Parts: sequence; structure tokens; C-alpha cells
Amino acid sequence: MKTLFSFVLAWSIGAATFAADPIAVKVSTDTSGASTRVVLTFAKKVACAVIEDPGRLKVACEVAISADPASGTLDDPILKGFGPEGDRTIVLATGPGYRRVDTCDLKNPTRLVIDLQGARTGKAVAVPATPSKPLPVIVLDPGHGGVETGAIGPTGLQEKDLTLDLARRLKVVLEKQSVTVVLTRDEDRVLPLDDRTAIANHNRAILFVSLHLNASKRKTAVGAETYFLATAATDDEARTLAGLENKAYEPPDTQAAPAATPATPSDRGLELILWDLAQNSYIAESSRLAEAVQAELNTATGVRDRGVRQAPFRVLMGATMPAILIEVGFISNPEEEARFRNDAYKDKVAEAIAAAVASVTARP
Amino acid sequence: MTRHVLSPLAVALVAALAACSGGNRSAPEPVSASPPAAPASASPSGDSAPLAKSSVTLYFPSAEENTLVAEIREIVDTKRPEDRGAQILAALLDGPTTEGALPAVPAGTTLRRLWVRDTGYAYADFSEELSGAATGGSADEILTVYAIVNSLTENIPEIRRVGILVAGRERATFGHLDLSRPLPPDLTLAERPQAAE
Repeated sequence: MKTLFSFVLAWSIGAATFAADPIAVKVSTDTSGASTRVVLTFAKKVACAVIEDPGRLKVACEVAISADPASGTLDDPILKGFGPEGDRTIVLATGPGYRRVDTCDLKNPTRLVIDLQGARTGKAVAVPATPSKPLPVIVLDPGHGGVETGAIGPTGLQEKDLTLDLARRLKVVLEKQSVTVVLTRDEDRVLPLDDRTAIANHNRAILFVSLHLNASKRKTAVGAETYFLATAATDDEARTLAGLENKAYEPPDTQAAPAATPATPSDRGLELILWDLAQNSYIAESSRLAEAVQAELNTATGVRDRGVRQAPFRVLMGATMPAILIEVGFISNPEEEARFRNDAYKDKVAEAIAAAVASVTARP
Repeated sequence: MTRHVLSPLAVALVAALAACSGGNRSAPEPVSASPPAAPASASPSGDSAPLAKSSVTLYFPSAEENTLVAEIREIVDTKRPEDRGAQILAALLDGPTTEGALPAVPAGTTLRRLWVRDTGYAYADFSEELSGAATGGSADEILTVYAIVNSLTENIPEIRRVGILVAGRERATFGHLDLSRPLPPDLTLAERPQAAE
């Protein structure tokens, strides 16, 4: 059973008028290299997802598109041809030589480059299914940034700075474990929550770890807690998803529900719902990672154990890998803020999180 | 295993998409003065019956712990869930009377409108002051959100999820929690052990 998810990046930025006209897309193919390359050149910026299914790849776009040419066939063992499916999707029919796909985006004009790796019969350039095993990627997400300072401690320590500091320390420690570490931000800047998750998905990360410092009006509040996503928030959508596309749209009762009535599952875009459900498949692994992190933090810091908890954190929702959010401590607590000004303590916290990561990623 | 390859080709047109998908996600300005239509089940005579009262349980953030504490209040026993819900939220916004409880919402927050759909989804629209719940820390944010959600779902059987709006608009998040959809209650918040900090 293949579940199809479509992922969208940076949806807080878009403000363009929703166009009824489909977006023109020029399709070109190139089989002259070791891989078969498909380039989609878009007339406007459009968010698309490449979804891998047996025998085909789907390029699913957020809005209607009009491909030119609409379809084509190739004499190529990696890619047999392409054609439309509905008004938002281009299907690439892969051949027996196809092994895997890489994508990248280019600007001016907006292009999606899809490289289909594989083997052409009789050629010695066969690409193995897992070529030279790249290092697994772990994405660390330093919470907040830029004008979004996050919480601020009693003597002025800012959450955004501390999360970045911790992420950089954690990166150094983790990279000793033969993993590649990507930070969602490595500078002091605003980054929308969904973009953070999208970076993890785009890098095909095996783990997503969002780092935060907590704050409370209760100045005595102290200690670390580790969260994974509470999926109860999306239960209704998960249940109704199967029949969603066929369900007739029921206009809201404008008498009972004035114009502000927000989205119900049936009037949210399908792609958005799929994004929101993405993490649901990884809850068990996320829970294990959260338990490991919390246990290591308790051991390392000896500060109060606030436990593993669940909440509908937006930044965890779209992640297609085990994903957790660590509230490393309460920056609002004077003693805890003071500890987080200490390099040795920050290193200890980073070491603890890294040890937990190692325990869940350990290979036999 | 299906692989999902992200293609952050460009900016998503979500604002536009939202506008497209119904055109009814932006603010009513101002909210209509007329009360929401009574559900078919509500009989007019019910509202004119003598005023009976019933006890409800409100939830406020604990002054000591990362939990919600319960406080019993009385409301007028009206038929329409909107009316009961509005009374509950009014009491919640008034603040706690119990020692050991903190206000659930920033000072000055008022309820602009509450309506309940027959799907069990309620939408509570608060004044701009509720934006002050974005204090930077998730702990207080979680308690504010679930003080509202739990207080409504606990006492009104017609409500099983609560959507939170600010000044007539959807607010995607106060910084951490996803508020783009109505939330079910978090029953664990009132059940945490009361260990000393």
C-alpha cells in the first residue's frame, strides 16, 4: 500500500492570487547522460512534490498546470514516457532500468530538475540501487530566530540564540557518529515553521530534532521535557481522508456560522491535510526517540524530569521521519538560565541528546 | 516504502488557496450583531423557562505546576450550546477565584463570538488581546489553549473540538501549537502528578 503525500514548502510566503488558469509548464527530457533528466520549466512559481510509486513517479503540483508537451514517449530503459493525470499532476512512467530519483530546484526561470538514476541495458554505467551509501542526514532545528526571539530569560538570554548555540554544539557531537547534520537555520533569521519541516523532508532526514527553551509565568518551573506529535488533533482528517475527494462540498450555513468559520476537513486543501498527517506514520519511532532523549537529559543534567509529552506542535506535523521537539529547560527560571550561560553545561546537554540519537540510530 | 521527494520548487500559494477553498476563512468585520441561529433541536420555549443553574468545571493554569487546575462554577442552564459555552468562556476570561490558579488568558481578552457546528466543532473568536498568549514559551501557550478547549469540551457534550480565532481570523499558531484546526481536549494536563517543583 502506497500512501501518497504531497509536500509544500514555504506556504506562509505566498500571496499571489489564485489563478483559475493553469500554469504553463514546459517539459523537456534528456537521455544523453548517465541518468535520465526531466526538466519542468514553470511560467510561475508553483509548489510541487515528487512522489515515488511502483513503476512511476508523480509530480503533483499545488495548482492546475498545463504541460507542453502534455505527454511523450521515450526509447529509454529508465523513463518510458510521461503524461498528465488530472490537472495538477504529471506522471513519469519509469522503466525497468530505473533505480531512484534526485531532484533540485532552479530559479529564473523556475525549474524543477528531476534526475532519474538507473541502469541502461548493456551499459557499464549501471548505478546501484544504493550508490556509495551516502551518510544519513539528521536535521536540527534551532527554534525561533530573527525578530521571533522566543522566550527571554530574566537576565536577557534569548531563546533564539541559545537554540542555535545548542544546535551547533550538537552538530559537532553528532557528526562523530557518521551522520550528516543539517541545521534548518545557521544564522539569526526568521524561518516559518513549515519551512523547517520541509528542510528535513527535502534532505530526506532520518531524524528531525527541534530545539527549544521553555518559559513560564511560574518562575519556579524548571527542567526538560521532550515532545512528540499529538495525533489526536488530526484524527478526524485521517478518518475522512479516504473519501475526501469524492465528498460533495457542503457550503457552510452562513446563518449559523459567519464568514470567519475556519476550515473543516472538507474545505481544507487535500495537499494541506496530507502535510498535516505526514508525521502520523512515524509516531511510534518519534515516541522512542523522545523517550531516549528525555532519559539521557535526565541522567546528564539531574534537573527535574518533566517527562515525555505529546502536543500538536506545528513544526512536527509535516515531518516524514521520526520527529521530536525538545524543551531543553526553562529559560525563564533564573538558575536554569544561568546554567545555560555555561559552556560546559551546554556541551553536556548536547552530548546527552547525541547519545540518545545514537541509541535509536545504532546499526547492528 | 514509498519515498516522498520534496520539491520546494517555489512558494506555495496557500493564502490564495485558502481564499479559494471557500472564501470564508477571513474575518467577518464586524461580527453580526444577531445571535447565531438556534439549532433545530432548540425549542424557543426552552429559553423562556425559569432559570435553572448547573455546575460546570473550568480549567485554569496552575500557579505551581505545568498543569490545569479545576474550578467549579455555576452557569444558567440554557439549551443552546453557544449560550452555555459563552457563559463558560466569560467565566474563564474573568479569571480564577481559587488560590493556586492563574488567569488562562492575557488581561483584557474578551470573547467576540462563539458558535457550535453540528459536527461537534466549536469556534471561539477572541479579541486581539489573546495574541498576548504568544509569550515565547510553549508551556504557558499550551495551558492557555487547553484551558479554553478543555473547559468547553468538558462541560458541553455538543462540543468535542474547539477552534480558536483571534479578532475574527484564524491564527495558525501562537508560536508552537497548530491552531489551524479545532483541537480536541488534552485530558493529560489535568492529571499530571502534583510533585513539587
